[in-house]
Amino acid sequence: METIYQMKGYTLHLIPTKKFKTMTISLRLQSPLTRETTTMRTLLTFVLIAATRKLPSTKTLAMYLDDNYGARLSSNIGTKGKSQIINVNTSFINEVYLPQKDSLLMNQIQLISDLFYDPLIENDAFNEKIVKQKKKELKERLQVNKDDKFSYSLDKLFEYMGHDDVLGISSTGYEDDIEAITAKDLYQYLLKCIREDEKHLYVVGDVDESIVNIFQKYLQFPENQNDYPSSYIFHSDRKDIVEMIEKQDITQSKLNIGYQIQCDFMSPQHYAMTVFNAIFGGFSQSRLFKVVREENSLCYYVSSSYDAFNGIMIVNAGIDFKDYDKALQLIDEQLKDIQSGHLEDSEIEITKGLLENALKKTNDDAGSMIALSYNRDITHKKETNDEYIQKILNVSKEEIIQVSQQIQLDTIFFLTGKDFNGNN
Amino acid sequence: METIKSDTLQESLFYEEMDNGLKVYLLPKPGFSKTYGLFSTRFGSVDTTFVPLNETEMIKVPDGIAHFLEHKMFEMKDGDASDKFAALGANTNAFTSSSRTAYLFNTTSHEIECIELLLDFVQDIYLTDGTVEKEKGIINQEIGMYDDDPDWRCYFGSIQNLYQKHPIKIDIAGTVETVSEINKDILEKCYHTFYHPSNMMLFVVGNIDVEETMKAIRDNQAMKEFHKESTIQRLIVEEPADIDKKNEILKMDVIMPKVIVSMKVNDILEDREQRLKRELSMNLLLDLLFAKSSSLYEEWMNEGLINSTFSANFTQERDYSFLQIGGDTFAPEQLRDKIIDLIQKMKDYKIDELDFKRVKKKNIGILIEVFNSPEGIANLFSRYYFEGHIIFDLINTLSKLTPQDIEDLKPLFQEKLTSTFIVTSK
Repeated sequence: METIYQMKGYTLHLIPTKKFKTMTISLRLQSPLTRETTTMRTLLTFVLIAATRKLPSTKTLAMYLDDNYGARLSSNIGTKGKSQIINVNTSFINEVYLPQKDSLLMNQIQLISDLFYDPLIENDAFNEKIVKQKKKELKERLQVNKDDKFSYSLDKLFEYMGHDDVLGISSTGYEDDIEAITAKDLYQYLLKCIREDEKHLYVVGDVDESIVNIFQKYLQFPENQNDYPSSYIFHSDRKDIVEMIEKQDITQSKLNIGYQIQCDFMSPQHYAMTVFNAIFGGFSQSRLFKVVREENSLCYYVSSSYDAFNGIMIVNAGIDFKDYDKALQLIDEQLKDIQSGHLEDSEIEITKGLLENALKKTNDDAGSMIALSYNRDITHKKETNDEYIQKILNVSKEEIIQVSQQIQLDTIFFLTGKDFNGNN
Repeated sequence: METIKSDTLQESLFYEEMDNGLKVYLLPKPGFSKTYGLFSTRFGSVDTTFVPLNETEMIKVPDGIAHFLEHKMFEMKDGDASDKFAALGANTNAFTSSSRTAYLFNTTSHEIECIELLLDFVQDIYLTDGTVEKEKGIINQEIGMYDDDPDWRCYFGSIQNLYQKHPIKIDIAGTVETVSEINKDILEKCYHTFYHPSNMMLFVVGNIDVEETMKAIRDNQAMKEFHKESTIQRLIVEEPADIDKKNEILKMDVIMPKVIVSMKVNDILEDREQRLKRELSMNLLLDLLFAKSSSLYEEWMNEGLINSTFSANFTQERDYSFLQIGGDTFAPEQLRDKIIDLIQKMKDYKIDELDFKRVKKKNIGILIEVFNSPEGIANLFSRYYFEGHIIFDLINTLSKLTPQDIEDLKPLFQEKLTSTFIVTSK
């Protein structure tokens, strides 16, 4: 079971278990998602784990990790509604499985501390060469994301749907903002993160309480009282549905639809919405998969997802351009069908079983355990996995129908081929 | 029932061959909630020419048929297998590769019923002309999705360049044209030939009781009747030594160009242990040359030729084997020249003892890490099983590798067997 310790400047969460061969440490830094800082913050996730003073290059750092039996060090950026989260992650083999009993745990805690407190700094700035290289890497990452038509079209949906809102801000930054960031700015921004970000650190693996003293000794941050908002309900005052169509030279068209739902992670209807989404398009037993794929052979993939931290639902499908109207119509029919109360008890039961299975599985993966726990920790939601399952199982048919009636089509983004001739 | 133990990994594997020839392996994972079952057949996209069961003449079936059959297997006389798994609270899926087709489930309850269902739906076939036709629309969308994926096009194109005749160059899903030729009759022929228990393997890992599980499988198999076991005759393709195409450039609606230099390996080893040794030593060599800790990676990164998508991979299955090196770059020709230059100079390559020890430690760590995840274990198991290895062999063989094993690989690097595939913007 998870135990929580208030450390200097962060909350430490220990999840002791012997079932993994590795130990995982994840440090999460939370700050508001803004148009001005998103690129800087994303760039920091690249530069932060590129080097330290003791391991002053990607090569020496990689050699060090290899020597520690392929220990992993990674970082990524993501959003939780109104917040943008930096995640610094390391995992390494539990010494029990190694021929030599090296102290990998101590090594990795020291390394995480060094990333923040002993980085490769020259004249109050990150190393110029590394910053330059990582700017190039970020730029290329953003470009290659556009080449992935699935993620590109999804990003476009968020951009149009969330025009003036936090939903419309890219969680991975903007190409045009990269160049202006200096090595000095970036180091100043790191110092700001150290001072102001809200921090949670998770340890999953074969550990006991004695590790708390080690963290006390090796990792401290300045204390702050910041408690940033995350989960919210997306709302738009626009009267009309936005329909955007873009043409590229592609074979398969990508249909993306965004809905307002009047519900988020903190709402009482969160559980009913979770069940609704699963019935509608969350699994391959769901309505959309059955109707759009199996009955009408219009696509290979179609699904809906509930973004609980932005309080929206989206649907995406890969279809032939000529099936645009038909696919839209079939998806809308299924929504209206449930809204008007057509729901079988058996589909509710099956869906709840699948949700329960999906949730229980998270106990077998350190990353998923941390992700679930983090959602609750940043929203101060007191709930165990068992309580969550129970709430899902308790959702009634009426509650599902009720929550479905809150759902309103907001934006359609269609990425299609050159031959598409508009709606006919 | 046999027990196979690994002291290093602290894991045990339980094995039994059923009377009908089906091989069953169980790996219990105490403390895990999940159970994962994987039922695989040695039938992949390369198996396009063979003698069907109870016939005498070789036939050529349409490209993409193994994948098509995988899609249709879920249909049962009394409903859809995915729905039945869902009713048990379980998920199911399947995948087809060049050399095998695999069906899987994962669950946190009703483990025995899920295993029985997995066996039952794969060990029976139910097709109608209508449902076969209907599937074509779905598969064509899947083909279209891969057509737009620049990474897939570059990866697969670089393999196609190497082979003149070998069916490894066939797209796993086939093409819209070959898919249109597929019918119920040919699907059934493939099914009866390749889905015999003696050509298949069941692997279950997770929250299971070994005795009870094995008994359930034994009872399930004893109730079913199969044709007599017979050896499957596949066409052995005489692949010429030379590559098919030296260079290929594909223009797509993309911003970021990519390049893969591929290299054909003609010296295919017969001995099982030698093959495993070669594969694991090649992985070490590729790490020595191209991993983040290598000098070349640092040099090429500094020159702006590569980014973190850069990688090098070795494939060795059945009677084909090749290397692929590359990634995203705005200087694809320049990167190609560097890689080819390196391949030419491989005969002079000196192995540093310390570097060797380091990458070996890394690879041992990565292999141990796989045993965290039931899916990871099952996929690794099935991949190596059909090449004749039990996964515990990997860590033993890896631990014994020496710099001389790397030295032995040097003659495989030949410039004339290299080819380049570039994806670039229009």
